[in-house]
Amino acid sequence: MLHHLRVLPLLVQMHIRSQMEYRGAFWLDRLAQILSYGSVFASIAILLARFETLGGWNFPELALLFSFQLLAYSLGAALSFVQLRDLEELVRLGTYDTLLVKPFSPWAYLVFSGLNIGYVGHVILAVALMAWATMAVDFNWSIWSALFFVAALISSTLLTAAIITMIGATALIWVRSNHLFAIFFGFWELTRYPLNIFPSGIQFILITAVPLALTSSVPVGALLGKPIPILGDWAGPVSLIAGPLWVLLAIAHWRYATGKYQGAGG
Amino acid sequence: MSAYTAFARSSFQSQLAYRNEVWANIFGKLVQVFARVAIWLAVYAGVGAATLVNGISLQQMITYALLGGAVMGATRPERVINEIGRSLKTGDISVWLLKPLSYPLYLFANESGSFLYRLLTQVFPTVAFTALFYGMLPPESLFHGAMFVAFWAMSFILLFLMSAFCGLIAFWLMTSFSLDWMFGALLNLFSGLMVPFWFFPEPLATLARHLPFGFVVYYPNAVYLGQLSVTQTWLYLGLGLFWTALFFVGVLWLWRKASTRITVQGG
Repeated sequence: MLHHLRVLPLLVQMHIRSQMEYRGAFWLDRLAQILSYGSVFASIAILLARFETLGGWNFPELALLFSFQLLAYSLGAALSFVQLRDLEELVRLGTYDTLLVKPFSPWAYLVFSGLNIGYVGHVILAVALMAWATMAVDFNWSIWSALFFVAALISSTLLTAAIITMIGATALIWVRSNHLFAIFFGFWELTRYPLNIFPSGIQFILITAVPLALTSSVPVGALLGKPIPILGDWAGPVSLIAGPLWVLLAIAHWRYATGKYQGAGG
Repeated sequence: MSAYTAFARSSFQSQLAYRNEVWANIFGKLVQVFARVAIWLAVYAGVGAATLVNGISLQQMITYALLGGAVMGATRPERVINEIGRSLKTGDISVWLLKPLSYPLYLFANESGSFLYRLLTQVFPTVAFTALFYGMLPPESLFHGAMFVAFWAMSFILLFLMSAFCGLIAFWLMTSFSLDWMFGALLNLFSGLMVPFWFFPEPLATLARHLPFGFVVYYPNAVYLGQLSVTQTWLYLGLGLFWTALFFVGVLWLWRKASTRITVQGG
């Protein structure tokens, strides 16, 4: 364990150095991502300028939701997405086997040697927007509500990373996992909007099978006192417990998938 | 010519090889189309479902969302850009210079094949299914219906040309990542996919109406719904063809420039 902890900072350091090799290109990519998410937010702003509310949420509330969803996603995905998406390729080519024979946890190696600092663009946009939205929203902040907000953000980050890890780990069993990521992102885009606007089938999926609503409109809605479909008064506690719970599920799933791994190439 | 038809056919067939993904994609597309309709239902519920906003009814907006899903649902501009970026990175691009074929035309044939595949297997079934739930208005008139098809065909060609133009810039930047995202950002806002221009504030609306991106989703849909008069329809078809011709010349020019300055780094 101690040996792992000593190596991890070195892995991260090496990866950051390699990513920053082309500094100009790195920051150009970040700018492009900020513009891309900015344009999605601008569309929401244009819509709200004309209609004033969306599912009972006004513009500052939706801005808070958008920034929370983006920040939780980018922090969680930095710990998982690119690394686990590429696991499919490692399995297909047989290079995953070389990780299994290292005297080091394959998961820790994969995640930390690829810790994605590319999400810094998402984080810059989300934090700036969040700073404005927390002031603009009509809400009396207290110590407790601020603590809930931070705890919900951590839980959402863990939940995002856990779901992505579980999807990626299925490549160990089925070799392919990228079409599941396509479904994941289809649902993820919906979570920029309040849960109550969707048909009940989609609401149910977003709380259970692909619980991305728990990383967005459920915690933010619980904070702002919005009615939450299906969960009702349980929305707050459920969003706090969901992250740690899904991490345990993801650990169990990773172990199961590793047990099933047979190798596909080489 | 037959070589390009063969490329299009093989692109169509190669997609059929992954049948599991067909179901995953249909499911994903269905969720997306339902969600887009849900957003319009929600905003109109806020002002009263029977209210006309800027002269547009809820049923017209549902139709707009479904048409947008159809027009944009089968294209993947990022695929064209990433394909160019990938062949540049791996050095595959040099092989294309050896062949007696045009690389841009090959890309077009390839994209046409997968467009047709996605149209038949994903877009038509999902849009028809959603239309059964929420209802979809017929085109304003036979003329508008026929012109919608013409605008859609133009939308596909123009979108391909714009993506290829963006992708070819990678020859100078040596990376296609940021080009893909920036193009996506422009398309998000100015194609009219998420919000049609009649809800845009001025002067953004006027700007959006004159950019080429509006021809991808907004104009085909506006023509279908009869938001453009007969004269306006012809006028904007002309403007769209002008943009298409401009990007066509642009792609040929960039490809000629690019092929003289290729530095292959991989392979």
